[in-house]
Amino acid sequence: MLLAIDTSAGTSAAVLSDRLLSLVKFDDPFGHAEGIGNVISQALTDAGVKASEITAVAIGRGPAPYTGLRVGMAAGLAFAQARKIPVHGVMVLDAVAHSLSFPKLLLFSDAKRKEIFVAGFDNGVRTFGPEVMQPADLEGFADYEQIAAVCDAGQIGLYALSQLAQGADLTDVSALYLRSPDVRPSPPKKVSG
Amino acid sequence: MDFMVLGPEDLDAVMVLEQAVFAGSAWSASSMLSELNSASGHYIGVFEDKLIGYAGLSTVPGSFSSDVQTIAVAESARGRGLGRSMMEALIAKAKAQGSEQVLLEVRIDNQPAISLYNSMGFERIDVRKRYYQPDNVDAVIMKLKVQQPLVLGIESSCDETGVGIVRGNRLLANALHSSMDEHSKYGGVVPEVAARAHLEAFGPTLQKALSEAGVSIQDIDAFAVANGPGLSGALMVGVAAAKGLAIANDKPIYAVNHLIGHVGADVLERGYVQLPTIALLVSGGHTSLLLVRDLLGDAQLLGETIDDAAGEAFDKVARLLGLPYPGGPQIDKLAADGDPNAIRFPRGLSLPKDMEKHRYDFSFSGLKTAVARFVEKAEAEGQEVNRADVAASFREAAVDVLLTKALNACADFGVNRLLLGGGVVANARLREAAQQRCDAMGIELRIPRFSLCTDNGAMIASLGAQLVMAGHEPSSLGFGADSTLEVTVVQSM
Repeated sequence: MLLAIDTSAGTSAAVLSDRLLSLVKFDDPFGHAEGIGNVISQALTDAGVKASEITAVAIGRGPAPYTGLRVGMAAGLAFAQARKIPVHGVMVLDAVAHSLSFPKLLLFSDAKRKEIFVAGFDNGVRTFGPEVMQPADLEGFADYEQIAAVCDAGQIGLYALSQLAQGADLTDVSALYLRSPDVRPSPPKKVSG
Repeated sequence: MDFMVLGPEDLDAVMVLEQAVFAGSAWSASSMLSELNSASGHYIGVFEDKLIGYAGLSTVPGSFSSDVQTIAVAESARGRGLGRSMMEALIAKAKAQGSEQVLLEVRIDNQPAISLYNSMGFERIDVRKRYYQPDNVDAVIMKLKVQQPLVLGIESSCDETGVGIVRGNRLLANALHSSMDEHSKYGGVVPEVAARAHLEAFGPTLQKALSEAGVSIQDIDAFAVANGPGLSGALMVGVAAAKGLAIANDKPIYAVNHLIGHVGADVLERGYVQLPTIALLVSGGHTSLLLVRDLLGDAQLLGETIDDAAGEAFDKVARLLGLPYPGGPQIDKLAADGDPNAIRFPRGLSLPKDMEKHRYDFSFSGLKTAVARFVEKAEAEGQEVNRADVAASFREAAVDVLLTKALNACADFGVNRLLLGGGVVANARLREAAQQRCDAMGIELRIPRFSLCTDNGAMIASLGAQLVMAGHEPSSLGFGADSTLEVTVVQSM
């Protein structure tokens, strides 16, 4: 029984057996910390599954705006650690691509600071990304179907199930930030003229 | 059933019932008065026109043990379960105070009472021969074991990832991971760097705390997490992790105030925190002066910094003097060889006009600028700057203003107790000056050990445990992180 959690866009949790049993979503792009407990708890209730029956956790590891992304990851990692069960990491654009079917697909999402996160797929196989681009860069991909990706836990869970069935390695559960923290050491300023 | 808490003003009513029930072996009015006055005592009663029952408990602070001193029910009110419900109230009080056992003695010939205590879980542990005089009757000593809750607390408000575990008021584990080194190249805490570090450090820190305490996560009765004040993105990692743990274990969660956690840390040092107290919390993120009358229900923010936190001022001055981050220990080291009176740096918000509006507020930005001006002026004039004197004089100004305002608060509110908390407490001069000035004013100074002064998970677990012990409801799952959480909100629901 798989618990999937994603806070790359809204806040969502899902429970899956070999199929989706429940999906609870708050679309609010803020309020991740407030919503995370309720979506997990409600997803378990809707699926009629107890926390102790969950045998694995899947989390969306981005790329996504950092503050919200970490909420779902922290909750999922803690849940798995408490129950001593494995946790699988999913790159969120892979999960969205898995739910779509285009020969040439480009997925992008908001990366803040007027930038976007991008990945490209040929017949469902990722050929580039995830990486940070300027919105204008998308003009260079005119032959791609370009879609703004909004991931949720249902997509994370379904993608994880399909990958695990093929023996894929989802053990990397580090966050995909793709950028350094936005700081530079600054020299001391003079206070007198 | 609701009971009145009895005080010295109830002496007459209590003595009427005392004499009616115990006749020859009744306490004297003067012993009863000292009981009703006692700070470690807790007397409750029921009035129906007149007093029809009362009972008293005594808990010596830090003993983890309570004694039932007396219990009496008027003859006309017997058979209504009054004795049992008063005992239950006393046991609840003992539990809230962190006691791990409740003791009582009872006449060996009082079979109804012994049966009642047995039914409530008390066990006979001893007999004292001829204890009750002049009747020459033996006393049975009985004990109730009180199981205190095992609580795990999470702290992530700034650059320390803390996971602590307590049982009641006892410290079992205090695991910590600091991202301070990662911030050193920036000269201060960078929120995004701190938040990233929390996500990575949480799992290992949790594991460390569990092995330190020798418990399994399934044994935890409740989870607590600091949900503010602090850095939003950092707090959210702790909040989310706590929710994940609570749901996975199907256990309650308590969202608690980080600053009140600092005040409560002294509970883990000696089993209780003496109240009321003035608390001065000084760190890289906070400079707050609090009046705390009740840890769980009556804390007041008297003042705080209007610009830089005290720890931040130490960091900034250290940079001016070419010293690495964090600045506190560096300034301390350099200042040891300097003259604290060499340069008179300003004491922020201490002028009469400022004191009207900002009696308990702090400002360190002017002090930092004054130090910068002094150094720049000396350099411009080609003079050699005595860095040790600058460090010592700066430190003296910072410490002086912190303590002057804290001790003003002690005097103004008639509170003879000062508790220090926060990372700046590591400063040797602050501790030394606080001790001298408190001694001179007859004020009791409390400084918990350093690992409980800096941000840590144990203090959060402890505050959570106290909420559990006092019977507070858990928080709902819907609370969020609140970077500016007020100190009046001990628990976010």
